[in-house]
Amino acid sequence: MKEFKIRTQDLTLFYGEKMALNSISMDIPEKEVTAFIGPSGCGKSTFLRTLNRMNDLIPNVSITGEVMIDGVNIFDKQIDVVNLRKKIGMVFQKSNPFAKSIFENVAYGPRINGINNRTELQDIVETSLKKAFIWEEVKDRLHDSALGLSGGQQQRMCIARTLAVEPEIILMDEPASALDPISTAKIEELIFELKRNYTIVIVTHNMQQAARVSDYTAFFYLGELIEHGKTRKIFTTPDKKQTEDYITGRFG
Amino acid sequence: MERHFEQELDKLNKRLIKMGNLVALQVHNALEALLNCDLDLARTVIENDNKVDRLDVKIDKLCQRIFALTQPVATDLRLIMAALKMNNDLERMGDQAVNIASKVEGISEYREITGTLHMDELAGMADMIVRDVNTLIGNRNPVFVRDIFQMANLIEDKAQAISTRIFDEMMHKSEVIMVATHLLIVLTQIERIAGYSTNIAESVYFIAEGKMIKHKKTFRSGIDTLPGADMDSTVHLSDENTAEQS
Repeated sequence: MKEFKIRTQDLTLFYGEKMALNSISMDIPEKEVTAFIGPSGCGKSTFLRTLNRMNDLIPNVSITGEVMIDGVNIFDKQIDVVNLRKKIGMVFQKSNPFAKSIFENVAYGPRINGINNRTELQDIVETSLKKAFIWEEVKDRLHDSALGLSGGQQQRMCIARTLAVEPEIILMDEPASALDPISTAKIEELIFELKRNYTIVIVTHNMQQAARVSDYTAFFYLGELIEHGKTRKIFTTPDKKQTEDYITGRFG
Repeated sequence: MERHFEQELDKLNKRLIKMGNLVALQVHNALEALLNCDLDLARTVIENDNKVDRLDVKIDKLCQRIFALTQPVATDLRLIMAALKMNNDLERMGDQAVNIASKVEGISEYREITGTLHMDELAGMADMIVRDVNTLIGNRNPVFVRDIFQMANLIEDKAQAISTRIFDEMMHKSEVIMVATHLLIVLTQIERIAGYSTNIAESVYFIAEGKMIKHKKTFRSGIDTLPGADMDSTVHLSDENTAEQS
């Protein structure tokens, strides 16, 4: 029986007057991939960003309910948000390499965490790049600018940068939507490998990608969680008609 | 706006119904030819098998295209998986019709035997199950799956009873041995038609309910567990939705 890494209870979020999430209760299992799907504006990215309190940065946001990670409510006053985000890595739609070398990009997080020993940093960089399946492609040009990498390589380097700070959870917001099919396949393979050690939550508009990479799928619509269950069930025999209509393209 | 994908599914449904109609006609004609020892009709059945084969290939190709180009999920996925299977089962039923038709000439040498053995009752049941299956393909109502299983069981019992009588006849009249052997083969073909009918019923159930019931003996023997168990058993598929077959 899998443990639940993340549990939300009646999570409601308003942007000003507008309700973006309506009482979402969801259990996200540890070391599995959970995909969030739904039409634009359904709240899936908002929900994802709530899991590492990224929404704190947006003005006029009000949140009620709980997000429990390893049994601790991340909205508790004593929670250190920086420490929380160390535990939860994030990968965005558009790769966002710093204008630094590949090495420095990956070493950036560990350096901020106080690791300055060169050998130790080299080990972390190599291990992280290997975990992100990009080491072989960049090992001879670690000190070249990361901006010179292809889009797919940049995205995998960003994943390596995320892994370098040893998170337990990785949130991915449409990580392959700007990539070609080959780079997308590499990212998907990477996700499959990473779930051995990490809890992964991915937002995707690509239904087939959700079907291919995830163990669980949650379907959101108009800020509500319509259905959440095993991916193989959702994509073969969903319980809710709205889910069926959405995944078969008959929505609206 | 109807999407291109919907049009493809619609085309698939129509072709399956057309295949069902064609096979139902083939089986009906083969049984008619058998009962009346009508060699011309038997030849027509044999000649028309290529129509069944051509449609079989067209349906397979359409399913392949839908899989490749649209990556169907949920109900659509189940429909296309089941369509491939149903198409295969229908094509095999068409083959059984040809096999029956090919035995008509041999049986016509002692044509009274079909009457003596009450083959007309069995033929009527086989004709009905094929028409019912065809209606089921059209309406995909899982409630009627039970009817198909029940009818298949009746066909099996009837075929067994007739085969026992055929063996009796063979023991007492050596002159009927050849004809009786042909008839035993025909009985096997009819039982197979019933078997393919239950396969198709299982596929319809899979489309409608998302559950695989094939190889589940509990569903076969305990048909009461299927939806519609509480229905009036006099309600029969043939009374319903015949328009959908056209």
